[in-house]
Amino acid sequence: MEAVNPYYPIPIKIKKVIPETPNITTFILDGMPIQFEAGQFAELTVPGVGEAPFTPSSSPYADELEFTIMKVGRVTEALFNLREGDAVGVRGPFGKPYPLKDFKGKEVFIVGGGVGFAPIRSLFLALVHNLKDYKRICLRYGARTPQDIVYKHLLPKWQKLKGVDIVLTVDVGDESWNGTVGVVTVILDDIPVNVKTSPTVVCGPPLMMKFTTQRLVEAGFKHSNIYLSMEQNMSCGVGKCNHCRVGKFYVCKDGPVLTWQDVKDIEEPFA
Amino acid sequence: MKLYLLPSSNLLDFFSRLAKDGSVFYPVLEEEKTHIARFDTDKTFEPNFNRIRTAENIKHFFFPSRDVVATFPEDTQKKASKQYIVGVKNCDLRGIDVYDKVFLQWEPADPIYQQRRDNTIVISADCPQPEDCCFCTLVGLKPYAEGVSDINMTPVSAGLLFEVLTERGEGVMSTAKDLFTEVGKEQEKERDAIRKEAVKKLSTINERNFKDDIGNRVDKASNEAMRDARNDCVECHSCLHVCPTCYCFLLSDHKKGKDVERVRTWDACYYAAYARVGGGANPRSKLDDRFWNRFQCKFNYFNQYENFYACSGCGRCFRGCSAKIDIREILWKL
Repeated sequence: MEAVNPYYPIPIKIKKVIPETPNITTFILDGMPIQFEAGQFAELTVPGVGEAPFTPSSSPYADELEFTIMKVGRVTEALFNLREGDAVGVRGPFGKPYPLKDFKGKEVFIVGGGVGFAPIRSLFLALVHNLKDYKRICLRYGARTPQDIVYKHLLPKWQKLKGVDIVLTVDVGDESWNGTVGVVTVILDDIPVNVKTSPTVVCGPPLMMKFTTQRLVEAGFKHSNIYLSMEQNMSCGVGKCNHCRVGKFYVCKDGPVLTWQDVKDIEEPFA
Repeated sequence: MKLYLLPSSNLLDFFSRLAKDGSVFYPVLEEEKTHIARFDTDKTFEPNFNRIRTAENIKHFFFPSRDVVATFPEDTQKKASKQYIVGVKNCDLRGIDVYDKVFLQWEPADPIYQQRRDNTIVISADCPQPEDCCFCTLVGLKPYAEGVSDINMTPVSAGLLFEVLTERGEGVMSTAKDLFTEVGKEQEKERDAIRKEAVKKLSTINERNFKDDIGNRVDKASNEAMRDARNDCVECHSCLHVCPTCYCFLLSDHKKGKDVERVRTWDACYYAAYARVGGGANPRSKLDDRFWNRFQCKFNYFNQYENFYACSGCGRCFRGCSAKIDIREILWKL
């Protein structure tokens, strides 16, 4: 049998494109080319342009693979020019999933910022799939403005779920906004979970990660219970090219989620 | 291990035998440096196994500077052709040791590397005349092969003393046994003396060793410890491209007709944009951090992964350095 080529992307078509915010769009692919677990990521290829790593935003139990992506660089810009029916490529899944086994029976405290809501959605849906396994799911999410909130259409449904507690904030409000105003740490003054035992998950832009982690450490979460989505330049996705290394960790292989215990001694892990 | 003696007069015949089913590469001396040449029965350069490693590193043979690693939508993998690399020094064997870890043992295995590795026979050679740039003994190596290669040769007065190290090596010998003669005790003795002399010479070149816990010392080293050397760096990156143990690469996609080729190119962690993410953030935007990172990678992290340094002591990095920054000087100070 010929060995599997880890650099070859599986071709697949884009089924649907859903604009979420002015610069964030969800791409639903026509099927599930990879079997992933929440927390793992994939490399998405725009044919002829290149590829970039993304964590799926869809449930691992879904039939279609989804990515919610912010337009920030060369590959994402090309991706945003694609339409329904266009072909892309997928490689993966890569990295380690969240240790959901260890989350069982516990309160899970999740903090997201900006487009960091995308991987969190996948985790959230995986937790909700077996909602009874967890004591409670608390979700805290901050966006720049009400317009920048991702999954606006899904949030009301999620807020109604029993055992789920969601609080949102925006950096800058407008006339439509009745909720909290301020960066995400303002909604972290009240942490209604047992910090001694609960796992907490953070995903967002570097500064948000830095200050949120600081807040969670102060609140008393165990360092090995603070799960952080690390963002690094990535090329191969399979722990060989060296690009994503932070300290001794390959974010693609040992991550993309590392704990504060892992990275706290690294100078500027969220740079 | 089995020993054979190849009289010098039979060397080109041996190469011709090898060339029947593959390309043969070997070192030749040109303007005081050895370079890699391809054996050709019509145009033969004189092999030189006495001098130190070739100016070029042997990474090209396993992991070329530009390599198509996938095509799509259809993946049409090319088959690697057979090659013999003759006269490889132990410093370059450490390079192969590093690639074997990264590309084969660290899962998933890389089938492109695997194919090249499977189709490459490595015939190493002792390094009897270390030069001032050599420091293999400071990174745990000897100036002769201790593994990795299929056959090792020692140049002795009667010719080349061959030691077969693998089954593949045995296979190669079986096609050319008639060219070899019996080995006497005197040749073994001569080899041992040559090796001893080379080790002695290295201890004269490098009077001090690195501290035993150099990995930890690098781990604890601040950027400041490397300031003087870093200030001299002109960021030409040649140290990384000539390094036999550096394995960083970048994948990029290129249209070719209706298909797309995914190309793997050597990369180097000294490039300013190496760690920059799509959104523009760059954890190693300063040369200080990139300079420091190279030492961490080679002496700290890789040592933590595999218990040996991703440095071979070949000295190419400072022979090729525009600022003549000697890696030993930095490590000795730690």
